[in-house]
Amino acid sequence: MPLISNRGLSGLLRGSPFKPIQQHMSAVFSCVCLIPPLFDAVYKNDAKLVAEFADQISFLETEADKLKSTFRLNMPRSLFMPVDRKDLLSLIADQDKIADTAEDIGKIFLYRPMVVPEGIKEFLDELLEGTMEITAAAKVMIEQLDELMELGFGGREHDKVYKMIAGVRRSEHNIDEIIHRGRKQLYAIEKELDPVTVIFWYKIIELLGLISDQSENLADRLLLFLSK
Amino acid sequence: MEIIAAYGTAMLILAVIFGLYMTWGIGANDLANAMGTSVGAGAVTVKQAICIAIIFEFLGAVLAGGHVTKTIRKGIIDPTSLVDNPEILVYGMLASLLAAAVWLMIASAKGWPVSTTHSIIGALIGFAIVGIGPEAVKWGKVGSVVLSWVISPAVGGTISFLLVISTRKLIFDTDDPLKNAKRYAPVYIFLVGFIISLVTMFKGLKHLNLELSALQSFGVATLFGILTASIGWIFIRKIKDDPTANRSFSYASVEKVFTPMMLFTACAMAFAHGSNDVANGIGPLAAVYSIISSGGDVMQSSTLPIWILLLGGAGIVLGLITLGYRVMLTVGKKITELTPSRGFCAELAAATTVVLASRTGLPVSTTHILVGSVLGVGLARGVGAVDLRVVLNIIISWLVTLPAGAIMAMLFFFTLKGIFS
Repeated sequence: MPLISNRGLSGLLRGSPFKPIQQHMSAVFSCVCLIPPLFDAVYKNDAKLVAEFADQISFLETEADKLKSTFRLNMPRSLFMPVDRKDLLSLIADQDKIADTAEDIGKIFLYRPMVVPEGIKEFLDELLEGTMEITAAAKVMIEQLDELMELGFGGREHDKVYKMIAGVRRSEHNIDEIIHRGRKQLYAIEKELDPVTVIFWYKIIELLGLISDQSENLADRLLLFLSK
Repeated sequence: MEIIAAYGTAMLILAVIFGLYMTWGIGANDLANAMGTSVGAGAVTVKQAICIAIIFEFLGAVLAGGHVTKTIRKGIIDPTSLVDNPEILVYGMLASLLAAAVWLMIASAKGWPVSTTHSIIGALIGFAIVGIGPEAVKWGKVGSVVLSWVISPAVGGTISFLLVISTRKLIFDTDDPLKNAKRYAPVYIFLVGFIISLVTMFKGLKHLNLELSALQSFGVATLFGILTASIGWIFIRKIKDDPTANRSFSYASVEKVFTPMMLFTACAMAFAHGSNDVANGIGPLAAVYSIISSGGDVMQSSTLPIWILLLGGAGIVLGLITLGYRVMLTVGKKITELTPSRGFCAELAAATTVVLASRTGLPVSTTHILVGSVLGVGLARGVGAVDLRVVLNIIISWLVTLPAGAIMAMLFFFTLKGIFS
């Protein structure tokens, strides 16, 4: 008969919930990182390359999904954590939406070969750069979670992350303006293009804007952690 | 009286065997829990932990184990009505020991987080109720012991909470955390040595014919604290900033300062455990020895011989070497989620609480207090996720252990009574 009872203590501590959140965010970020090369391929009208990047985004999105499911399965209600369980679940759901959006963009180029109109190329580059910037900022912010815990979500780390959150919000505001300008440019050349194509370009712009909106949502979630 | 004269030696041998069995079980389970945190943090290897446990468990038992032993031996049961039948008390003590040890074994096999302390107290009460009568149980004392089981984890939690907050204020939330960590680390290590030795020495060494005045105790404790702090400084001064480790986690270098500090809390935990839990096994043994050696004096006026404390320590070490190291490995692997700074705070809080309880003569559960301390860290938002189901399990096992120990003690009591008479 074994004389060992260790459930007293060893089961007490579960893995930190922040590590899987950070892993997931890093998978999501790799999805977003593939969007600029995807557009490059679209610029070059290289269908094979476009398909390759779109498939890669799809693959990474599935990976992120798996991470999300594992995370959810390991979040019983009995856990006592420094942040609210619901907020954590919402955070990972929001992160996942970014990957979903990236995948949606890739899918459009897969089923509908698109040629980029000259008039919006410059705008698209600016928007892509802004999108990369804001998701990178959101990722850095998520990476601060363990540091935040080290200081009990207060003190210097609190101020640091608070500034990061403000930064993400400012970027989102800037991107909104870029998108507004871009839509005007698209409107100006609308008549020269095929109507259905125009609808799709509007759609793609909207999806790119969604990524920065979703990054801002992450910032808002983190704000809840700080205020608890 | 005749029974004691006729079977005294046999009874004492039985008591030694049961006592060893019980302490072996304690060593296999409890102690590993107490030291697993330090193993998990990488402060000590399992081998080193066993060496530390051997030394400090004995020290704890011999220097500070007497008070709790006294409680178990004569604090729970009032034997006045047994003056003419001392053998009843001997049967009862033997039955309680066996009941507690067997219950511990069953519970361990099932994986229930039971406490050795709760088992032995439950067993003693069970025997007293059927063997002597409910009035023989010192309910007032039992009440204060049970109350201490509720309060002690809360005390441990409060201390660890405050310690975590203090490390934040003094070290982590500053412009140069590493510099401050190295500056304050000796202070924290001083605290480990100072508190443990002060509580132990303050009017607590009478059994070694060593009586120190309050001032002397403070003086010696301070010296002891300075000694531990100096030893700690040797480990800590070499620690340098590690930019690669800091890249993924900015406080990685700071946490490294706390790793050697957990060596000291590991010693403190082993000492605390020895001072409190050894008594669960040797208290009844001491009672049996006292009755038999005095030819049937149930009031047990004789003092506790040191060899019994040593025997208890030996049993625990045996348990640790034969089985406990495996538990230590498991606990150590699972408990890595506690960063060294938090592990240090939790262990220091737990060791302090246990030693305080030992000094007051209260038998408490080291594991429960450590769980309370970890929860204290959690309340300070200092740990990723604590599974409260485990806490619930502990509370349920706690509630089941008292009657289970009691019923088994009753059965063993009647069996022993039947065999000897």
